[in-house]
Amino acid sequence: MKRKDYQIITNNPLVKENYDRVIFVDGGFQDVLIKTRDLVHSGYKLISHPLGASIRMFFSPYRSILITDKADKLDMEHVEIIENSIVSYKKQMDHRKPDEANSKDYACIDGELLKSALEEHERLSI
Amino acid sequence: MKLELRRIHIKDIQFGNETVVKDGILTINQEELVNKLKEDKRIKEVKVDLARPGEKVRIIPVKDVIEPRVKIEGEGNGFPGVTTKMAQVGSGKVNVLYGAAVVTVGDIVGFQEGVIDMWGEGAKWTPFSKTYNIVVDIKPVEGLAPHTHEETVRLAGLKAAEYIGEAGRNIEPDEVLVYEMGSHAEESKKYPDLPRVLYVEMLISQGLLHDGYIYGVNSQLILPTLLHPNEELDGAVISGNCVAACDKITTYQHQNNSVILDLYEQHGKTINFLGVILTPELTTLEGKFRTCDYTAKLCKTLGADGVIISEEGYGNPDSDLLMICKRLEKEGIKTVLITDECSGWDGMSQPLADTTEEAVAVVSTGNVSHVIKLEPADKVIGDINAITTLAGGWEGCLKEDGSLQCELNAVIGSTSEIGYHNCTVKLY
Repeated sequence: MKRKDYQIITNNPLVKENYDRVIFVDGGFQDVLIKTRDLVHSGYKLISHPLGASIRMFFSPYRSILITDKADKLDMEHVEIIENSIVSYKKQMDHRKPDEANSKDYACIDGELLKSALEEHERLSI
Repeated sequence: MKLELRRIHIKDIQFGNETVVKDGILTINQEELVNKLKEDKRIKEVKVDLARPGEKVRIIPVKDVIEPRVKIEGEGNGFPGVTTKMAQVGSGKVNVLYGAAVVTVGDIVGFQEGVIDMWGEGAKWTPFSKTYNIVVDIKPVEGLAPHTHEETVRLAGLKAAEYIGEAGRNIEPDEVLVYEMGSHAEESKKYPDLPRVLYVEMLISQGLLHDGYIYGVNSQLILPTLLHPNEELDGAVISGNCVAACDKITTYQHQNNSVILDLYEQHGKTINFLGVILTPELTTLEGKFRTCDYTAKLCKTLGADGVIISEEGYGNPDSDLLMICKRLEKEGIKTVLITDECSGWDGMSQPLADTTEEAVAVVSTGNVSHVIKLEPADKVIGDINAITTLAGGWEGCLKEDGSLQCELNAVIGSTSEIGYHNCTVKLY
């Protein structure tokens, strides 16, 4: 049985089109992080890490993050992860702009990485 | 296990009527190589080009780098589980075309950068400016899904390295390196007083363009696993990464993993080297917790006194690196971390996306945000459009004279987190 205990916070139009359980953010990567932070502070937990695994994905205009579907009590470890992620993102993008010229490819890879994250979540039965 | 890496020193490369090595000169039959690769019907076009150290040549966007070799004795020629049938690697004799490298170029996505400059400022930063490069540019048939496209280019590079490596089969080597290590029981009996050291090598394991493979198994699907160091030196681990140019571990760097070689060098002298634990860097937090717990448990079970941990990539893997460090230090196992840092243009910002007080011994392999200037090339091999992606992405990064400014993160292997690169460190 497919797990349904997640929500996707995303600004990626491809993800909005292809998935249910989406909280769509009309904005940039940083806005997705901020929306995630707000929800983590309200007791939602991170399922996937807010950041990518390679520098290039920091330059992506799009980001999709998995969080739980229900609020629970505040988890300081998750708060720390999302806050550190925002600091990291801002530092990395200090001088740079998101790579809009390749936005279509970033949307595709963000979607692929989300798919992998969901498959990984599916394999971890709780 | 006993592995002989028999290095044939390559001093030049050229095209010719047959693929042979003579007097240190590697000649490649271009047509035969192209036909071999085009046996894969997913490939529409293959262009082969050569790049020598010092030439004003830029290669972009690089997907992988592979060392051409041939196994002349023992099981498992090539890359078992990927391009050849399954075999237990790590023992036997391997002839290595040392100084040559197969470089695959393939723009799977438009934002790939990954540059190798063979001359000037750019050459200073990448170890692959010093190798004689056979550049294989792969164009697949139309309409391939991104996963299939990535796989096609990945396999083509490995096959090209196997084909070229075959030229070394009957050549006498210039030097022979021997790597031999017995079971833990045997080695501990030999060196009862030396501290036992494990190497934890982390691999990005997160999906398309962010994968690694062990005997063909996608590392996303494994629990941390123990390898004899010879297995990695003999082709058990390959790269499926595309977009972390500066700090991805290319297949070549797995085949020549500097951490393994350095630990081997100290084995029996200052340490008892227990082997390599390959640890996936997963995406989910639950996955990360499981992986890090499991890695620490393996280190403890194997009786390690100290552990060297190398990261791959930047961003969410920083969390794994520090979680492993924390768990080990709490168990009384000493750790040394190897990572690059992202500390801004001036090098003054916090270097990692995460931190922990237990991380007291950290080796930095360079600042990925350091800005360098690249002169225009006489010749570009690969995709000329990728040059725009290479440039920094800020006002004024493309100059009128055709030179450009980019951050080190665009240069292949420039901040290698296993230390296979040109930077050195200062002790603080």
